[in-house]
Amino acid sequence: MWTVIKSVLAAFFGVQKEQQRREDFEQGRPGAFIVTGLVMAAFLVGILAFVAILVSR
Amino acid sequence: MRTLLVWLAGALSLAGSSQAALASGWNMPVGVTDLSREIYNLHMTIFWICVVIGVIVFAVMFYSLIRYRHAKGAKAANFHENTTVEVIWTAIPLLILVGMAVPATATLKKMYDTSDAELDVMVTGQQWRWHYEYLGEDVAFTSNMSTPRAQIRGDEPFGENYLLEVDQPLVLPINRKVRFLFTADDVIHAWWVPDFAVKQDTIPGFINENWVRINEPGIYRGQCAELCGRDHAFMPIVVHAMEEDDFDTWLAERKEAAAEEALGVEREWQKEELMERGEAVYASICASCHQPDGEGSPPAFPALAGNQRMLEDREWHTNVIIDGVSGTAMPAFRSTLNPVELAAVVTYTRNAWGNDTGSEVQPSTIAQRLGQ
Ligand SMILES: [Cu+2]
Repeated sequence: MWTVIKSVLAAFFGVQKEQQRREDFEQGRPGAFIVTGLVMAAFLVGILAFVAILVSR
Repeated sequence: MRTLLVWLAGALSLAGSSQAALASGWNMPVGVTDLSREIYNLHMTIFWICVVIGVIVFAVMFYSLIRYRHAKGAKAANFHENTTVEVIWTAIPLLILVGMAVPATATLKKMYDTSDAELDVMVTGQQWRWHYEYLGEDVAFTSNMSTPRAQIRGDEPFGENYLLEVDQPLVLPINRKVRFLFTADDVIHAWWVPDFAVKQDTIPGFINENWVRINEPGIYRGQCAELCGRDHAFMPIVVHAMEEDDFDTWLAERKEAAAEEALGVEREWQKEELMERGEAVYASICASCHQPDGEGSPPAFPALAGNQRMLEDREWHTNVIIDGVSGTAMPAFRSTLNPVELAAVVTYTRNAWGNDTGSEVQPSTIAQRLGQ
């Protein structure tokens, strides 16, 4: 689970280790990455919205 | 390393000459409001951030190009990835962008804060002039470019404020927060006065807001900044910023004149009076499209001189001026012109340039038609 989150975070940032990438493609299940990606994208949007609300007050 | 130092020295001497750049008019103006000064400083801060980044990047690039050139026997390093370097070159721009966003957002928040204004001015863009209304003060007028056509055609030498002069400037007080409400009657225009750091789109059916608090009395000039048709270049903005007392006097005078004008609706007007007034209204409002000689420029702007339908049907003619003609360039003038001006311009166009119908329209008739 933790490796999946770390890989999604690396994807958000745009940089990933080649070794980790290979492991993800060999051992990971696509569904896990897709679901985690969607949940974390929602989180990111929530954080940005929170910052925007905080700033605009 | 020496190359890098040379570049930095160059950047510093550039910094010294930024004052010269300002004086030359190449840079944006500092302006005459606190906010315009802040926007200018923000602009310069971000400019210098970009300069520093540019100097460093190019210094490293040229240093590497020269120091490790093939002629000196340099061998290319052959590796595929380096996560550390990639993280650094992603993180640094991220931090720089967030760092620039913080002051930019702070300034933007101030620009949008139109609360507690002491004066509200409605600014309406029209093809091709500006209409100003002092809300709650019963004062409104149209501001037309006053540069003579002969200068534009090249028959006369350019004046000092060529294309940047108007018949009636917008008058504003200094030291007071003035809120602008922007809209347009026909197409999108943009009200742009660099000295106020205000450049706001005026959009039909929408109201945009912005505000100024001017620090120094003076005359400030601007232009329409959104391509809006044939005479886009001929709808300048002139703002006359006055001391507060002078402004109050001016506004009181304008209110009095407006009240007098309202009384004029009731009385019977002589045809000569209407013709005289109509000629002035025609020159400032109608002539830009229908031409001073009433010949128009067909097909977009039909001729008024000898226009059969217009001459035969006074009712239709009046309605066209009041309500406009949808689907054409003819706008409705019901809110821009008052009943006296409408009556005068109808009378004038029915009797000028050999249109000798002899018929006239009284302001009271127009007022009835408008339901006032
Ligand atoms: Cu315009």
